[in-house]
Amino acid sequence: MTAGTATFLEPAKRRGTGNVAVALLLPIALVNAVGFIWPILNLAGLSIREALPGGGIGENFTAANWSGLLGDGFYIDLIVNSLVVSLTITLLTLLVSYPIALYLHRATGAWKSFLTVLVISPLLTSAVVRTYGWIALLSDTGPVVKAMTALGIPAPRLMFNTTGVVIGLTEILMPYMILALMAGFGRLDPRVEEAASTLGARPFAVFRRVVLPLTAPGIALGCLLCFVLAVSSFITPKLMGGGRVFLLATEIYDQAIVTLNWPLAATLSVLVLVIFGAALVLYSRAMRLLEQG
Amino acid sequence: MLARLSIAVSILALGAATGAAAETVTITAYSGIFQDHYTKAVVEPFMKKNPDIKVEFYGLPNSAQMLGTLRAQKDSPQIDVAILDISVAKAGADEGLFEKVDESVSANVKDLYPNAFAEGVAGVAVTFDNLVLIYNTDQIKKAPTSWNALWDQNYAGKLVIPAVPDIQGTTLTIIANRLAGGGDYKENVDAGIEKLGELAPGVQTWEPKPDVYTPIANGQAAIGIGWNARAQIYSGTSGGKMAVVLPEEGSGFQINTINLVKNAPAGDAAKKFIDYALSPEAQAAFTAEMFYAPTNSKAQVSGEALQRTAAGQMDKMIDIDWLAVAKIRDSITEKWRRQVIPLSR
Repeated sequence: MTAGTATFLEPAKRRGTGNVAVALLLPIALVNAVGFIWPILNLAGLSIREALPGGGIGENFTAANWSGLLGDGFYIDLIVNSLVVSLTITLLTLLVSYPIALYLHRATGAWKSFLTVLVISPLLTSAVVRTYGWIALLSDTGPVVKAMTALGIPAPRLMFNTTGVVIGLTEILMPYMILALMAGFGRLDPRVEEAASTLGARPFAVFRRVVLPLTAPGIALGCLLCFVLAVSSFITPKLMGGGRVFLLATEIYDQAIVTLNWPLAATLSVLVLVIFGAALVLYSRAMRLLEQG
Repeated sequence: MLARLSIAVSILALGAATGAAAETVTITAYSGIFQDHYTKAVVEPFMKKNPDIKVEFYGLPNSAQMLGTLRAQKDSPQIDVAILDISVAKAGADEGLFEKVDESVSANVKDLYPNAFAEGVAGVAVTFDNLVLIYNTDQIKKAPTSWNALWDQNYAGKLVIPAVPDIQGTTLTIIANRLAGGGDYKENVDAGIEKLGELAPGVQTWEPKPDVYTPIANGQAAIGIGWNARAQIYSGTSGGKMAVVLPEEGSGFQINTINLVKNAPAGDAAKKFIDYALSPEAQAAFTAEMFYAPTNSKAQVSGEALQRTAAGQMDKMIDIDWLAVAKIRDSITEKWRRQVIPLSR
């Protein structure tokens, strides 16, 4: 075994495995180049092309899409609104998913398997179907509004506005959050919690000083995933926003499919990519801080 | 979008491979009920008349996706004929995707109504549709006769309006501008925008899904606007729950054009199909089938179809110049988003 490792580390051999690694990486690199990098470059190129009225794409290059976007109060509002709504959804998803993930992490045996399947099962149904479910539940004649009216509570509008979008997306993103949290809970050992209690910490102190720091990597991962999914989702905001909620993803859809302004759609898409890049940078910063701490 | 495109390409490639014996004409037009009814009223009779030509119908949900598909195939077209909205057809013609349709393609071109042609559009109109009021018959017992029913406070919260950039919203803007006494819509639509602002607080949704007809047919909403042809069909399938009115003030047309794709692989067979699609016979058949008004003035339209389309009331229609609208569409969209929709929050 040790002899094997020694030959493995010989320079000549190592170069050999390097070639194998390159050969093995080549297919995925090619797929990525053709399926991801090339389209992205195309998109970036499209974002500096001239948009003609009626959906044409001009031959000339222009910065007008970018300056128009960043100099227009409507789009600034739209970007801010997108970020605020996505962050709200991420936070709410975290709040409702964290206890479930913690319970699942502690469960054992068949019970754990059963619960895990239960958590994942919504992913077997498409987001469209689940959104229509929410429409039925939250509509003016739906059970939620009826129950609130019966109890004498004046029901606010729950659908065709931002509230509807937040409710729908929070539920739809929960399985992703729970799975990400569980993946990041590896360091949480029940014996550490027990030790803290034995040493006299009250439950809240155990949670704040032991459980929370140990599960922070999971929280960071779950939040990154849900934020990215929330910013890019457009089916649920389209169906539940009632045309009042302007978000980046729905705007890209409208510009690309309805207005046919592909250059503007491309500009917005590149902007979303920049936001994702920023989220990734924040995530890796947070992870580095957590590892140091 | 890309996935769909590649599916499209492979389906088309398959079609080309298997249809090598007989000539195949591939047409693209709206999927769904348009495809069903167009196939029955026009495509099948055409194939019966021309047994050596096979027509493949490649349905797409909207004109924009048709344009996208045609753009992607510009260097080696797989589609021969495209039926799409006039303003999108103009964009396609500007990009050199289409061949001119004139009397050398079809002798029927000379019999079309004058508004079937537009400067810079390579194709010609193949269907006329118009905006209508639609309402739920359980919630509204007496049929409304005027567009003003949309402003009726009794229906506040029960109103569904497909907002701009959907062209139903654009058409409503032009109608509202006329109701409010605004002048030429090409100059400005401010009066119409202001009037729409009064309607905004009562709107339940600006983006009815899957379409505007469903919430009205199932009672989630009471009144709204839609396109006549689809409204007539869905009114029939709703079992009387949804009814359609062409208001007394008239309405505006939506125009679908038929376009010959440049370097179309089917060649003369494609021209033959366009000729048939514009013939009085095919025009009358499709009007009877789906209540689009014919574009051929020689089409013999029966009594019921005359009642249920704008064909009998051409004089009441507002002449909307969609190519002029294309130029002001962005500013109309901006006004809706800044001055109309925010009032409904």
